[in-house]
Amino acid sequence: MKQVWPLRFRDLDDRRTLLADETGAYFLADGDFVDRYARDALTLPDERFLRERGHAFDRTGDLAHTAFLTRWSRRQHVGGGLAYVILIPTLRCDLKCSYCQVSRAPFASKGFDWDEETLERVLGFLDTLPVEEIQIEFQGGEPFLRLDHLEAVATFARRRFRNVRFVVCTNLQNLDDDILAFLAHDDVLISTSLDGPHQVHTRNRTGDTELTRTFHRNLERVIDLVGPDRVSALPTIDLEDPPDPEALISAYEAFGFTSLYLRPVNYQGFARKNHASARSSTDWIEYYGGFIDTLIARNARTGRVMEEFYLAHCLRRILAPGVDSHTDLRNPNFPSGANAVIDFDGQIYPSDEARMLARIRQVDLAIGNVTDGLDPEKIAVLAPAHINSFDPDCIHCPYQPFCGTDPIDDLSRSSRIDVPRQESWFCQRHLALFDLAMELLYSREAAVEFTLSRWLGLEALPEALRPVAP
Amino acid sequence: MIQLRLRSDCDGALSPFVTRIANGEPRCAEDAVLAWQEAGVLGFRTGYADFRLRDVTPADIAGDVLLIDPRRQVAHRLIRAASPHNTFLITEQCDQLCLMCSQPPKPHHEDMFGHFRTAARLAPPGAQIGLSGGEPLLHKRGLFDFIDAAFAERDDLGFHILTNGQHFEREDLPWLRKHRERLLWGVPIYSDNAATHDEIVGKPGAFAELSEKLSLLGLAGAALELRTVVLKQNASGLPGLADFITRHLPFAATWAIMQMERIGYGRMNWTRCFFDSSTNFADLGAAIDLMRARRQSVALYNFPLCTVPPAYRDLAARSISDWKQKYLPGCESCSLRARCAGFFEWYRDEDGFMEIQPQ
Repeated sequence: MKQVWPLRFRDLDDRRTLLADETGAYFLADGDFVDRYARDALTLPDERFLRERGHAFDRTGDLAHTAFLTRWSRRQHVGGGLAYVILIPTLRCDLKCSYCQVSRAPFASKGFDWDEETLERVLGFLDTLPVEEIQIEFQGGEPFLRLDHLEAVATFARRRFRNVRFVVCTNLQNLDDDILAFLAHDDVLISTSLDGPHQVHTRNRTGDTELTRTFHRNLERVIDLVGPDRVSALPTIDLEDPPDPEALISAYEAFGFTSLYLRPVNYQGFARKNHASARSSTDWIEYYGGFIDTLIARNARTGRVMEEFYLAHCLRRILAPGVDSHTDLRNPNFPSGANAVIDFDGQIYPSDEARMLARIRQVDLAIGNVTDGLDPEKIAVLAPAHINSFDPDCIHCPYQPFCGTDPIDDLSRSSRIDVPRQESWFCQRHLALFDLAMELLYSREAAVEFTLSRWLGLEALPEALRPVAP
Repeated sequence: MIQLRLRSDCDGALSPFVTRIANGEPRCAEDAVLAWQEAGVLGFRTGYADFRLRDVTPADIAGDVLLIDPRRQVAHRLIRAASPHNTFLITEQCDQLCLMCSQPPKPHHEDMFGHFRTAARLAPPGAQIGLSGGEPLLHKRGLFDFIDAAFAERDDLGFHILTNGQHFEREDLPWLRKHRERLLWGVPIYSDNAATHDEIVGKPGAFAELSEKLSLLGLAGAALELRTVVLKQNASGLPGLADFITRHLPFAATWAIMQMERIGYGRMNWTRCFFDSSTNFADLGAAIDLMRARRQSVALYNFPLCTVPPAYRDLAARSISDWKQKYLPGCESCSLRARCAGFFEWYRDEDGFMEIQPQ
């Protein structure tokens, strides 16, 4: 054997080390294997194992070499052709959630909506995007406060793009006939917040049990109207008083949801003042791990399958390239007009978090505006931080091919983007997530295998997904 | 069964020629118009010859491209306009002897490229034409020239070429790259174990050669359809083969797992080779699960739907060519019949699947 492709490694515990190459092909080994690898003293069985699993090649152009190049290139590629644009037609909202990450504006305030000119320019900007497929997400504020803007965008986009989908991120506090008519279109999806049991939702979001009841009624009503497949919900977790996992899952099941996306309070906006715990990652990791344990045990007990979206997504990214549907976890994730946020004032940001930083005047990360267009210099400054492939810490991490970057969150928390990765919230959170995903993949517990195979759409978990070196 | 050869007569002194049954007015000298008809006979006239066809109606053959063989008094339906299953048999020679071969090789080769070139020119718009054998790449120069010529005359055609993959060379890379959008290469691989693969194809060293050549297809960015007939000899190795494909053949556009066809060597070796997947789908299921987990495309060809567990039925294609496909009497009441591959014409109940159940 001539060559073994470079392997990165990380101890899962004191007996087991996870190794992976740059294509994301991974395996478990004991410390002795790592020692032999590091000292260039691999045995024949070691070499056979590495060769069979595509970690080695004999010469340039042989099948193992060509296959590795293919797998490697697919890990560098994020598919084009689909735009994902977030629009903020208004920053006003009729709720005042304690963890509001966007520092929403009060319901009656002035100057926080697109005016007609901004609307026209937003449509003009969308028209310039070099794509035929687009997903447009309406955020706020509460976007339904400006249903007229939503309708104008929808009418335009349905004409302009071959394939279009809309997601309205709404608090569902107020429904009327016009809103219901908008939601009845097949290309409109709803994303809302359901923080779990009644009291938790009231404390975090509505501050009023009657308002919570209204929300529950409205949620049932839209699910009846459009079916559960077009409605998603996510709980935002306040770690100072987190919901009991069983109660949280029950609240989701009660509405017929089969997936939820557990989201920590974002360290942005109001949350900075009201939720100091959002700074630390250890509490989150502990709660999240406990939640997943509960979920897996519950799935096995009930035979129904609830998915935690983000962990399932991370698993899918481990197993295959091209799982890039979630814009928060991609590599590379360069800012562009096709993956942007247009704020209430027409400013264009690379991500939702970037607009939040501008909002609290920490740093202006706008990459343009709808009047002057995109600013290529600004994009060029931001781009290098949006790829992990050359980061001096990430290149030693076996999870690098599956992971991403979040320089905006780094800026938000540390006021710089060059903190050692392991000190950043993004890295700590994702190391824990991928460690957990690997633990589960290699688990022999029937309950774990049941949940994982269902999340992955498989009848059984294939043995080949958990290779172990000799 | 749909007839691929028709009784035809014409002046026996004529050389074989290609003609198209005109749909309306003739558009070129090869187009044949119906000049007269009487009971059981149709008389056609082209720009240069007359011929007759027997026992067929004008509607059956409208737009078809025929090769008239005056000496043998037959018309070969090279392209049936109404069918997606049209294949040119490039040669009957082959350098492998696969246990389950449905088209056993013959030593003699008859060069038909001239006729195929005319037929391709006359093909319906957007036709995808199969090129098969034998081993078509035994006549690589002629084949490549034919494809170049066909593409030069028709920019809407594509070819699906079945080859054992043994005959690609490094210098073919520019040609393969040039046509990568329009050629789909169907290449068999029976096992990731070299000895098993070599035994099945009857050629020592075939697997090693295949690995080298598949690498070339990967480097060319060619569209590759891997094909594996499931047999007693390789069924238990399918999960391992799936792992091999996802790791070493990630550039394959799809992997077709195929059931056996009881004809040719396939009939001779049926009891030795036929793997009854209706009673044991475990290894197939494990292989498919791995392909799904790694998000590489996989399909099942020639599997009746009732032999496939429901979780995998969406992968079962209606793959059996129309002219050799049939259903069983028991299929009459089955609700899935309309999307089922059915059975090969030469399938037999008595030594076939144990579990055939109308759904």
